[in-house]
Amino acid sequence: MNSIHDMGGMQGLGELDYQESEPMFHEPWEGRVHAMAMVLPLFRGFRTEIESIPAAEYLRMSYYERWLTTLYAQVVKHGLVTTEEIESGRADPDSAKATSAVTPEAALARLRRIRQSDEATDIPAKFSVGQRVRGRNINPTWHTRMPRYTRGKIGFVERDRGVAYLPDNETSADPRKLQHVYLIRFTARELWGEQASPRDSLYIDMWEDYLEPA
Amino acid sequence: MSQSKTGSLDRRGFIKGAAAGAVAASTPGTVHAQDDHQDIPSDPALRVKALESLLVEKGLVDPAALDALVDTFENRVGPRNGAEVVARAWLDPAFKQRLLDDGTAAIAELGFSGWQGEKLTVVENTPDVHNVIVCTLCSCYPWPLLGLPPTWYKSAAYRSRAVIDPRGVVRELGLELPDDIEVRVWDSTADSRYFVLPERPAGTESMSEDELAALVTRDAMVGVAKVASPAVGVGA
Repeated sequence: MNSIHDMGGMQGLGELDYQESEPMFHEPWEGRVHAMAMVLPLFRGFRTEIESIPAAEYLRMSYYERWLTTLYAQVVKHGLVTTEEIESGRADPDSAKATSAVTPEAALARLRRIRQSDEATDIPAKFSVGQRVRGRNINPTWHTRMPRYTRGKIGFVERDRGVAYLPDNETSADPRKLQHVYLIRFTARELWGEQASPRDSLYIDMWEDYLEPA
Repeated sequence: MSQSKTGSLDRRGFIKGAAAGAVAASTPGTVHAQDDHQDIPSDPALRVKALESLLVEKGLVDPAALDALVDTFENRVGPRNGAEVVARAWLDPAFKQRLLDDGTAAIAELGFSGWQGEKLTVVENTPDVHNVIVCTLCSCYPWPLLGLPPTWYKSAAYRSRAVIDPRGVVRELGLELPDDIEVRVWDSTADSRYFVLPERPAGTESMSEDELAALVTRDAMVGVAKVASPAVGVGA
């Protein structure tokens, strides 16, 4: 989605607000939001929801305000809670429990787990290391992990990362589309022109659907 | 190097107020926080409380699980983990090689693993190459080694500028990179998470692993600073 979250290369977005050290959560509610997002089965569509926040609001909100807005939307979309319940603040006595609560032990195990990956390594790779590729000119109206600054730009395959699920398909009818991901190197000059240093590069992992031979 | 804390807090306060206003304005039937008749409170703390108590009442959330996660983030993960990895790599060349070859497997040797660290790539700073980490699309960050990202890493300014002007951004944070060094920016937009192995500073030849780890900062492992030499007190 060409929304404000895809901001790589933009200018004029304010200050860095650098602090040498800061607490993990600035206020207790931020920790609750982070933890709720981790224990509820809301992952599918979570990013699409964040990216759908109108640009002006997105920029005004703090990081966890975006998460909170998204949590409210997602619990309803996933059928965990009804809008009536949110408005009344009370559970409907007749509502069915959609899922059981994650225990503290399971929550911590989730945090520590090592994800099993490469479950289908026999999927053939379209591109090979060293190959010249171009970022495709795609403009999906849903979630993608292809930043727009890579569109139409020529880079080189540095590494084949193996296979992973294409995030663009997460909310589609074919949510588990596996394909190769490649580490791509773009020169800074290819991306940003003559103002960039001729020595500098940008490295980014890109799914096969984001690339075409060049 | 650090901006005034008061200034940042003022700015945060302003942003929060504006956001609460925006939420109130965009939610039909919602009025300001001081009004007793509102449906959904506009203050984030109250909105979170309302949501949590509803989810608990419905049996969808165990508050003890939230406590356990918050405690872990606040007390058990953070840049000290990453510093331990860096110090080990500086002292043990075989470990360093394993770390650069397969970051996930190497950090597991020291007991670090988990969410946002499942596919870890470690990139090494040298006299010729300087690496900078960013996530332009959200705020991807190697949690097991660095904890949750700081506000500036998540800021629109860092996310937008780190790719187009990495030298300018690190200069603003106090690090001047010479023209003849190669800067590599790593945009963490897929499953890989990135971690910078900083250069070991001069004057640390006789230091122990713990002493070395104490020198390593979060910023050096994101690539917006160097590790300061203990003799000089500031980064070269």
